[in-house]
Amino acid sequence: MSKRASKRRFTACAVTTAIVALTATASMTPARAEDPGITDNEILIGMFGPLSGPLIAYGIDPVQAAKMLYEEANKKGGIHGRKIRLIVEDDKCSPNDIVSVVKKFVTIDKVFMLHGGSCTAAVSAAADYINREKIPYAMLNAAGDNAVFPPTRYVFGSFQGTQRAYAAAFATFGAQFLKAKRAAVIVHDDEYGKANAAMARATFEKFGVEVVIIERIPPNISDLTAPMLKIREAKPDVILSGAYPAPAVLIAQKYAEFGMTAIPLLQAAQGIPTPSVFAKNVANPEALENFYYTWAFNDIGDAAVRTKYIDLFKSYNNGREPGPFMMSGIPSAVAVLAALDAAGRDLTREGFVNAMEKLNLKFDAMPGPLEFGPKRRDGARTMVIIKYDGKTQKVMPGTYTWDGKEAN
Amino acid sequence: MILQATLSGIVMGCVYALIALSLVIIYKSTDVVNFAAGEFVMIAGYLGLLLLDHFGLNYPLMVVLTVTLMFAFGALFERTALNKIVGFKYAAEAALVPMVVATIGLSFMLKGAVRVIPSTEEVLRLPPLFSGPPVFFANIVLQRQDIGIVIVAVLVMIALTLGFNFTAIGKALRATSQNPRAAALIGIPVKRMRMMAWGLASGLAGISGILLSPKLLMTPDMGNVVMLGIAASIVGGFTSLVGCVIGGIVLGVVQNLIGIFVSPQAIAVTPFFIIMLVLVMRPNGLFGEAMRLKKV
Repeated sequence: MSKRASKRRFTACAVTTAIVALTATASMTPARAEDPGITDNEILIGMFGPLSGPLIAYGIDPVQAAKMLYEEANKKGGIHGRKIRLIVEDDKCSPNDIVSVVKKFVTIDKVFMLHGGSCTAAVSAAADYINREKIPYAMLNAAGDNAVFPPTRYVFGSFQGTQRAYAAAFATFGAQFLKAKRAAVIVHDDEYGKANAAMARATFEKFGVEVVIIERIPPNISDLTAPMLKIREAKPDVILSGAYPAPAVLIAQKYAEFGMTAIPLLQAAQGIPTPSVFAKNVANPEALENFYYTWAFNDIGDAAVRTKYIDLFKSYNNGREPGPFMMSGIPSAVAVLAALDAAGRDLTREGFVNAMEKLNLKFDAMPGPLEFGPKRRDGARTMVIIKYDGKTQKVMPGTYTWDGKEAN
Repeated sequence: MILQATLSGIVMGCVYALIALSLVIIYKSTDVVNFAAGEFVMIAGYLGLLLLDHFGLNYPLMVVLTVTLMFAFGALFERTALNKIVGFKYAAEAALVPMVVATIGLSFMLKGAVRVIPSTEEVLRLPPLFSGPPVFFANIVLQRQDIGIVIVAVLVMIALTLGFNFTAIGKALRATSQNPRAAALIGIPVKRMRMMAWGLASGLAGISGILLSPKLLMTPDMGNVVMLGIAASIVGGFTSLVGCVIGGIVLGVVQNLIGIFVSPQAIAVTPFFIIMLVLVMRPNGLFGEAMRLKKV
């Protein structure tokens, strides 16, 4: 080999090594020290939720609840000396709106991280952009199945459980507590319902319960006669419903009308935004004689927890009584505050994501831990089951935790 | 199961028929399809609940007041919006597109206005007009409200048929629609007739709202049920009062049977499938007169 060729090869090797080393260094570096949205005394967070439109109930109080926790943290001096500043926008639970809001936060406001979103379809629409831009994102209170399965680095969610967790909890309760042998499932014909039905079937079958019928209904259905008659014909000994508020009422009405009240009816929480209003709409006490719903919080069983958060909410909202979804804004804010604290004074986006990933947080508002991991982005998997007769809510014994195994 | 589904389908069909009747009255009198008919029903439901819960009225008084207010609302809309669009022309000579667009605009406006009211974020329900334990026929069960809906739908249909065919006002309304210029020449106050048609249809939507809100439940999006009313009207024939009731019943029954024998998922597309089928096989519907072709 000539001297010149040897020199050329050495130069090529050196350049290649340098490129590889630089690339590796860049990818291993936790983050740039100058991440946007952080100053010596401030962390800027872009917060959003449905603050107008038909789904406002899912957003307005949860956003207020999360804000109050940030303000509480600021009152105590902030996180490692930095105060949290929020910019709040309305996403209307619309996929188009949420993407616009997120892009605005990232490109114009240059926030450190994002916190918000109450609807699965909407948060899922924004997930790709968020991962591409490498912005840490904590959902507000969306179940978010499609955004956390499969897990991606920057998206953390399901702080009050996924559809998988609701369905697994109900199916476990049906099999173990109610000793059911034949189950009927009624869900919507969308992604939400698909996830719910698949997990319910898998869990029921794990416990040897036969799923005798799965009825998929459109969310805008106005007459439940056909599906409820088919369910009655299938002779189940437990019925699991993943319906939204209006169809959930119609299901309960037909269930009573067709004389099925001896069969326990298990309704996922999204169908009963306010239990008292649900009972008033059903307008038939018989329909609620054997009625249960899932819940991800301790506020119903523990008066001290309820009082603590309601009083705090009222103190920040001119004495206004919160709606039932207020509690759902608490866990994500608690998790964000804990991760900001764990990430330390040298806060970076990557450092925050790493801290979120290691989170295993137990606190008074929830029956189980909020936990993430390298391959886990859904926070809450533990539910309680509430028996509701239209007047009183009784927490059933035990907690029900999804084991994280996917339905096939 | 099939008998239960058929009877429940008849009840739901009468629900669609009531909305269809409101549509047909306006169509017969002004040639306009009122795309805000569903929102009229929705507004009537909320209004009824407001009068009952907030103002503490008793049920009969609430019904009278709701229907009266809805009548006034429909008449006012015609006077303040459609009348301006029509201008000095007669309805049959006026461009229909702006009028139809006005009804679409009104539907969005009403929906938006209701959403501003805080308590409407929840699903609400008006107490039923006919309450009490359900009625059993062997294994078939029907709610009293369901029976009430069927009776009211049939009574309204009969009253409107008689009214349109045998009363001076009914004949004047039909004349206004068929040939407004000639109607004006023989002394019929065309503008007043148009206003009355809108008031009548709106009042009927008030009755529908009171009957339907306990059954369909109230949300700001409840007005989407108008599509089922339109489907019922198309099946029955857009000009026939009897036809739209029968069209509604056919639609309700077919929806339930498809829900049982095909899939509940197919229920939502059934009305559109039926609309297409009827338009292809029998464009004037089962009982409709040949419609004048208008460029819109």
